Parts: sequence; structure tokens; C-alpha cells
Amino acid sequence: MKRKKPVEWTKLDNAAKIFPPNTNEKDTKVFRIASHLHDTIDPILLQESLDKAIVLFPLFKSVLRKGLFWYYFEEIETKPIVSEEVKPPCSAIYVPNRNNHLFQVTYYKNIINLEIYHALTDGTGALWFLKTILLYYITEYYKEDFKDNIPQIDYVSTESQMKGDSFLKHYTGPVKKYRVSVEKAYKISGRRSLDNRINIIEGILSVKETLAVARKYNTTLTVYLTALFIYSIYQDMPERSRKHPVTLSIPVNLRSYFLSGSARNFFATINIKYDFRTGNHNLEDIIESVKNSFKNELDESKLKEHLNRLASLEKNAVMRLIPLNIKDIALRIANHINSKGLTAAISNLGKITLPEELEKYVDSFGVYTSVRRPQLCICSYKDKLSISFISPFNNSDIQKTFYRLLSEEGVTITIRTNE
Amino acid sequence: MLKCDYCKVGIEGEQSRCPLCGGLLQGEADGKNAFPSIPTIYEEFNIMIRIIMFVSIVIIVLSIALTLILDIEKKWYLLVIAGILCLWLSFIFIIKKKDNIAKTIVWQVVIITILAILWDYSIGWRGWSISYVLPSVCTAAIILMVLAVRILKIYVGDYIVYLLIDALFGLIPIVFLFIGGLNVSFPSIICVATSVISISALILFKGQDIKEELNKRMHV
Repeated sequence: MKRKKPVEWTKLDNAAKIFPPNTNEKDTKVFRIASHLHDTIDPILLQESLDKAIVLFPLFKSVLRKGLFWYYFEEIETKPIVSEEVKPPCSAIYVPNRNNHLFQVTYYKNIINLEIYHALTDGTGALWFLKTILLYYITEYYKEDFKDNIPQIDYVSTESQMKGDSFLKHYTGPVKKYRVSVEKAYKISGRRSLDNRINIIEGILSVKETLAVARKYNTTLTVYLTALFIYSIYQDMPERSRKHPVTLSIPVNLRSYFLSGSARNFFATINIKYDFRTGNHNLEDIIESVKNSFKNELDESKLKEHLNRLASLEKNAVMRLIPLNIKDIALRIANHINSKGLTAAISNLGKITLPEELEKYVDSFGVYTSVRRPQLCICSYKDKLSISFISPFNNSDIQKTFYRLLSEEGVTITIRTNE
Repeated sequence: MLKCDYCKVGIEGEQSRCPLCGGLLQGEADGKNAFPSIPTIYEEFNIMIRIIMFVSIVIIVLSIALTLILDIEKKWYLLVIAGILCLWLSFIFIIKKKDNIAKTIVWQVVIITILAILWDYSIGWRGWSISYVLPSVCTAAIILMVLAVRILKIYVGDYIVYLLIDALFGLIPIVFLFIGGLNVSFPSIICVATSVISISALILFKGQDIKEELNKRMHV
């Protein structure tokens, strides 16, 4: 008798569990990495590259399904299809019962976009996948240039490493139960567009020039941009709202602290807070405070605590036996409470590298994400620093302040926008 | 490239105003848009739903108005309102679960049976809900699901658990066959027979699939 191969299925990793219950039209939990090439994209070649790349990333062949107690990924046979970009950036990907792939590859002129539902993986995992697609695409498109040496991708991970949940690997035990009460943070408000699309204003800067400015203030690029963001929010803040602090949520890639080859989510978020209640505040003050907060928060034992807290969700016997529908409601409430304490967010994907042979074919990268509150998404490639200011609202006052402060420092800025 | 003199930034692509300050721009557009321009998508409420909703309101209003004009003692319009609410309840579940046919069918079986028993009870128990409605709905659901699976080629994981639930639900009439209370027994007998045949077919031919599917869905 013929035996068919059983369907592969996987549990969600611990950072991913929060995403499905909190996915809706206003916040799709989708992020995009765009790669700008020099020539117009060939859709057939792109499809072939995707077909080859997905073999190396089996988890990306999954759909998200609901069980009685937990969500889970299930592998499907259907092939993911590349398509021209026809929807606003970071449009919904996961719709319950729709059973489609949790990522999408689209192209527009000379740009290849990878959009991913965040439950599947984080920026690092997505970048590995996009780099693999780019490797196949570029070496095929410019075949003549790669006659005898096909470059290799610059990450090393086996299939089981990529599929592994690093939260469980580094879990050491439950955290002592303590409840940090959420301090209400200043909220930025505004009007949304009719179809809830996000408003992207992306600045392309020179890494060298921007770094020079950060050095002038005696600090790093991340600290400088974080402080500048807080300062821009402060400029726009009504005086009566100063009783609430400005709190930024910042995801931290745990791979830099704990050994991991996982292509799934492996991050924790830290909060950077600045209080405007008393006194005058100039950029230097904010930089000093942000510098200290980063130093405090990016401590290995503190990050371990974050990690353990996320992982303990799955270890708690009572929690496990609660039906999914009730878990969903609980996680929505938790998310709602947590979001009261946040003003904005920054995610920094860091320096993107490609194998040396591929570098000249890619012009720049950009990162964008669906947002509930204004967010900066930062990445750099060669000398191009992309800072995307993403907002769910239509007004652009903070954006104006932010980029003007940068251009006043003498940094050359080119703006891209989806408006 | 376009330039904004106020913000001191260059702007890629075609823009009529500065995205930052809204001011006028200098220079020539370079046509290098990084995003395609996509018109606003208006999600309109489906016209069919609006029509059905309107008709429901008209019927309810007319029945109340008629009762008042004709000065009828009996509040028969309450029946009309209850009937329409029941239809809507069933309709809402169809819309909510529309992406999974098997799930929709199971929900309908449960909703229709419960509503029928409530109706039967509230207008003086005559037993038609358990004699006719319950067995025929269950039998119809099993047949419909098998047909849907064959015709629409539904993926095994999407229906198998629901078909099983439905077939198990179809065993309930056994209780009434034994304790009595049925006006006629042939619909119940047909229903139980269909269920038993379905369950044995499921276990014999799809046993492994059911086991795998339950493993996935019930993992804690």
C-alpha cells in the first residue's frame, strides 16, 4: 500500500505567539524589506529564484492554522507566486481560514520586495531569505559575470538550526513573578487614511556623513537617531502632554547575545524612556539620557530575563490548557495595556551585507513595517543609510522636524515616499 | 531630482509638493518612484447584505404596523421578529466562517438544531424539532459535506475533523429512538444509519489522517 508522507507542522515560537491575536486591518503585522537593483526586474527569473530559495527555507512554505489550544504552522504544497506590486505596502497577509503563504515576493520596476507576516520570522530571518533570492536572481540575470565563480551566501545555518525555536534553547527557568505597572506614555495622534494604509517617508542618507554627525555628539549612530527621534516628538508635543514620558519600544536582536542559527523570531523589546516634565531639554541632554538607558537595558542578564519571560508563556501548565479563543482575548488585552505605555518605536536592522561579488548589482535596501504608532525603520547598505519614518497618520510634522534637523547638520537627504 | 528649498532635501519620483512641509518644489522630477501609486481602496459594505438587511427591517416594521392598525390582540409580530433574528443568526455564521465550507456546515447544523428545539419548545412542544429537523439536518449535512469534498477537492485537513463531528452529532437520535418522544422514527433511523456508515468509512479509510489532524489541533 502507498503511504503518503505526513504533513509537517510546527509550533509558533514564543515571540510569534503575540502576533496572530493582534492582527487586524489597522495593524497587519507585516513588514517589508525592499531591495533596489539597477535594472528592471525580470518576473520569470524572479519566480525561478524564489522556487530555488524556498527549498532552503522549509518553514516559509507554511500556512497558519488554529488548533484548539495554540496556533501552528502547517506545510503546504502550493507554490508561492511572485507578482507585481499592486497593494499598499505591508497590506494584510494573514487572514484566518484563508490558508495562504505567510510571505509574498513582489516587484516594481527595479525593486524586489519581500513582505512577511511577523509570526513567521523577524528581520534577520527575512533578510536571510531575501539574500538567498537575490543570490539566485543576480547570478542568473548577470550570468556572463559569474561564469566560473558562483558566490556563496554569507550565513551558515543548517535546516534544523533554522527551524529551531531559540527561545526554548536558551530558556533557563521561569522569571520571579513581578508586575511592572505600565506608566502611561505620551500618545501621538492623527488622522488615518481611509484604507488604513501606512504613510512612509524614507530618507536616504550617507552613512559616513550621518556617522560624522553622531561622532560630533560623541555617541553612536543608534543613540543619536533615537535621541533625535525623541527630540522631534518633543518639538511637536503639546505642553499639557509633557506630564507623560516619551517611551520608545526597541526590538533587540537576541542573536547578538545568545548563540542562534534560527530563521524564526528571536528578539526581545526594550523600552527607552525620556521624561519632559521639568526643565529645558536640548538634544545633548536627550542623547546623554538615551546613552545611559541603552547601557542599562542592553545588559545580558536583563535580556535573559526578557527571553525567559517570553518562553515561560509556553511552559505554564495552566496557560497551556486554556482554549485558544480565550488566550486570544487575553493576549489582546495584554497588548492593549502594553501599548498604553508606548509613544513610538525604532527598529534597526543594522548593516546589511552581501557577498562581495554581488554588491555592485544592488543599489540600496529599505525596511518598512505596519505600525500602530509612528516608527523608524533603519538599515544601511554600503554607504546608503535608509531611515524610514512610518506613521499610521497622514500628518507629517514630526517627520519634517526630524529630517530638517538632519539636513541642518549638513547631511544630504533624498526622500522617497508612498504618498 | 526635485528639491525642497525649505527642508533642504532631494525628492525622488514625481511629487507636486514636499512630503515633509507641503511646500512647492524646485527642479525636475526624475521618475524614480520607489512605490507605485495605488488609489485608495474603499471597502464598501456588500450591496446584497444591505438589501437583505433593508427587507428584514421593512418586514418587521410592517408586521408591527399591521398589528397596531388591525388592533389584533395576539402579538404575532413577535414570531416574525424571532424568525428574522434566527435567519440572521444563521446568516452571520455563514459570513463569518465562509472561508471554510466544512466548518460552516457544522455550525449551521448546530445553530439550526438549537433554534428548532427552542421554537418547538416556545410554541407548545409537538416534537417536530427532534423528529424531523435534527435527523434531516444531520443527514443533509453529511451528504453535503461529502459532495463538497468530492466536487471542490477540499484539502483533507480542512474537512476531516468537521465531518467526524457532524457524523458523531448524527448519532444523537439514537437516544430519542430508545427513550421515545418521536412522532415518526424513519428520519432518525436514516440519520443514524448514515452516521454509522460515515464514521466507519472515516475510520477505515482516513484513520491516519484523523489521528494526525487531531494531534496537530489538540497540541498543548
